[in-house]
Amino acid sequence: MATREAGKKMIMLKSPDGMEFEVEEAVAMESQTIRKMIEDDCADTAILIPNINSKILSRVIEYCNKHVPTTGATGAAASDTVAPAALAEDLKIWDAEFIKVNRATRFDLIQAASYLNIKGLLDLTSQTTIDTISDNSLEEIRSFLSTKNDYLPEEEQTIRRENQWAFQ
Amino acid sequence: MDAGNPEHRCRCPHGPRCTRGPRHGGLAAAALDPRVRAFPMDAATQAMYREHGMDPVTLESDVTTAMTFLHYVLPSPPFVSSRAALSAAFLPPQDDGGGVDRISGLPEELLRNIVSRLPAKDGARTAALSCRWRRVWLSTPLVLVDADLLPAGCGSSLRVERAHAQRVESAITHILDAHPGPFRFVHLISCHMQETPGLLARWLQLLAVKGVRELMLVNRPWPLDMALPATFFGMATLTRLYLGTLAFPNTADLPRGVSFPHLRELGLLGMAIVNRDMDFVLARSPVLEILCIQANVLLKWLSLVSRSLRCVQIIEGIDLNIVVKNAPNLERVIIWTSSARDGLHRIVKIGHAPALSLLGYLEPARHLLEIGNTIIKAGTKPSPSTTVPSVKILSLRVCFGVRNDAKMLPSFLRCFPNVERLHLESNETDEPTGKVNNKFWHEAGDIECIQSHLKLMVFYAFRGERGELSFLKFVLESARMLTKLVIVFCKGSFASMDEANSKVKPLFDARWASRGCSLVLFESPLETGDDKWVLNFERGSDFSTTDPFACTAALQGCTV
Repeated sequence: MATREAGKKMIMLKSPDGMEFEVEEAVAMESQTIRKMIEDDCADTAILIPNINSKILSRVIEYCNKHVPTTGATGAAASDTVAPAALAEDLKIWDAEFIKVNRATRFDLIQAASYLNIKGLLDLTSQTTIDTISDNSLEEIRSFLSTKNDYLPEEEQTIRRENQWAFQ
Repeated sequence: MDAGNPEHRCRCPHGPRCTRGPRHGGLAAAALDPRVRAFPMDAATQAMYREHGMDPVTLESDVTTAMTFLHYVLPSPPFVSSRAALSAAFLPPQDDGGGVDRISGLPEELLRNIVSRLPAKDGARTAALSCRWRRVWLSTPLVLVDADLLPAGCGSSLRVERAHAQRVESAITHILDAHPGPFRFVHLISCHMQETPGLLARWLQLLAVKGVRELMLVNRPWPLDMALPATFFGMATLTRLYLGTLAFPNTADLPRGVSFPHLRELGLLGMAIVNRDMDFVLARSPVLEILCIQANVLLKWLSLVSRSLRCVQIIEGIDLNIVVKNAPNLERVIIWTSSARDGLHRIVKIGHAPALSLLGYLEPARHLLEIGNTIIKAGTKPSPSTTVPSVKILSLRVCFGVRNDAKMLPSFLRCFPNVERLHLESNETDEPTGKVNNKFWHEAGDIECIQSHLKLMVFYAFRGERGELSFLKFVLESARMLTKLVIVFCKGSFASMDEANSKVKPLFDARWASRGCSLVLFESPLETGDDKWVLNFERGSDFSTTDPFACTAALQGCTV
């Protein structure tokens, strides 16, 4: 179902809940997984994206839409010029807004970014988890990440002792 | 050798206006508080240097400068791992709907992806969360940056208190012991390695056994030349290695099989390495593409014989002769700065280098250029044996106020007939010996690259001197293909843009050979000489940057 619109090649993405999203090929190719499908010619009809519901998929597309022109600008042209710092700064602010989501959504976005292989989005979504780990005590991290402590008390003591330098 | 009168050459690589170190408040000095001694010497070391006729106070301040420089040059760790940089942009996630976080339920591969971005200290803390997280930590290739182990808010890694350094040392030993490897990136720059006997040898042993890929290893003075233990040669898994302020081990008696089969990038910063050992490293690194040298100690002849080498960069080359003997894949030779303590010329020789496309900065005042077996002199006629047709991007540093310097310029340019992009830096001299005039340039004869190929010229550190203007005028009147001339003046060179404009006005009276050429006047964000303190290898080593000379801090904000 690839069509041409204003000279740009379009691609149809389908979520398992039946929604269809028409996006520019360049935008879809922000995903290395989709890029590979297109390059291998597996993409003449709509591409079904399994496991990613329409709500998450639309957010992923929103992210790719925002990030696609930058990739173009940092390609060949940027090699001779100074990187457009202002543009990068804009994107950072946009990213910070974009990732202000609840934990369930963040979890879904990490999985989507991983499946679709979108490095920037995976970096962004993982980063917020990193902040959680960096800024809090062990017990707090456990509760944030809903991790069950399955160590025996003496085991935990040993591990803490081994990694004592990390708790100073 | 036409060395000219050594009294009349600018000897310091930073020009006569140079201060001994980075200007206070300058970019490189930002990390350094002049009131604190970053590398204090103990009494015994002071006595030792005094005995050798050196002033410990001066030496200490010079070493601080050199280390500032070195830390600046050293490539950065792969991730921004400091908390301050991270959290600013991210507000805590809202807690609606999501309830508990399901992160811990992600596949281990994704958890590894998360842990791999954490500073080693935070990574190790996750190991205490649960069995699963411990497994994840142990199976995530380690990224260890020792400066992350310093207590928060203790400033830069340049200045480290003894007690902190010792705690970092013991933490490093723990981590290298506990983690099974592989070690993806290890950055060790905060420790006084000499103070704990056997420490470095043990680290290197662990790094070798567990498969380190990228290693940045810099000792903190004193001494300046701690011996690198021979266990170093066991690290066969290295792909990228930067060493600083250590003495390279003797290679004379090593077994035949010793090699670095995967080493792609090597940096030697303030390293004591002799010619023979340098040759050894090149010979035993079959896939080495990038070689970076800063402030060479002992090494006087860099002789390049390598089938794999693509890029060689030098910052602060000291008395260094560079001979490209046989390097069929060498594309770039970048000598950012160099100096000769005796004021004599050093050789830059281009032998077999058919792929060489980018070369500079050549300096007639410091370099004796040799092409094949011909030494280039003023008036050397171009012939196939004295030209390097592959060079497309060339940079030169010239004192137009020194007659002998300016007179060498046409001869140097003739060696590179196909240059399309020329970067020319105008050096200042405190003892001018008379300028060459317009007539000189027109009588100098044909310069093929200027007449037929030059598309872009960047003229850096313009001061409006007569010698500069006559050369610029000559270029504008001869360069038929020129599309852009960028004239850059250092910050503060002129009182106003109007004054700068009035200085270039005479150029508009010339008959330009290229009608489509544009002239851009640009004020550098840096003052004279300050650009030398903010050099690094990054752009030069990046092959996707076609012209690293156009990407320096001094040209920031200028599109060329």
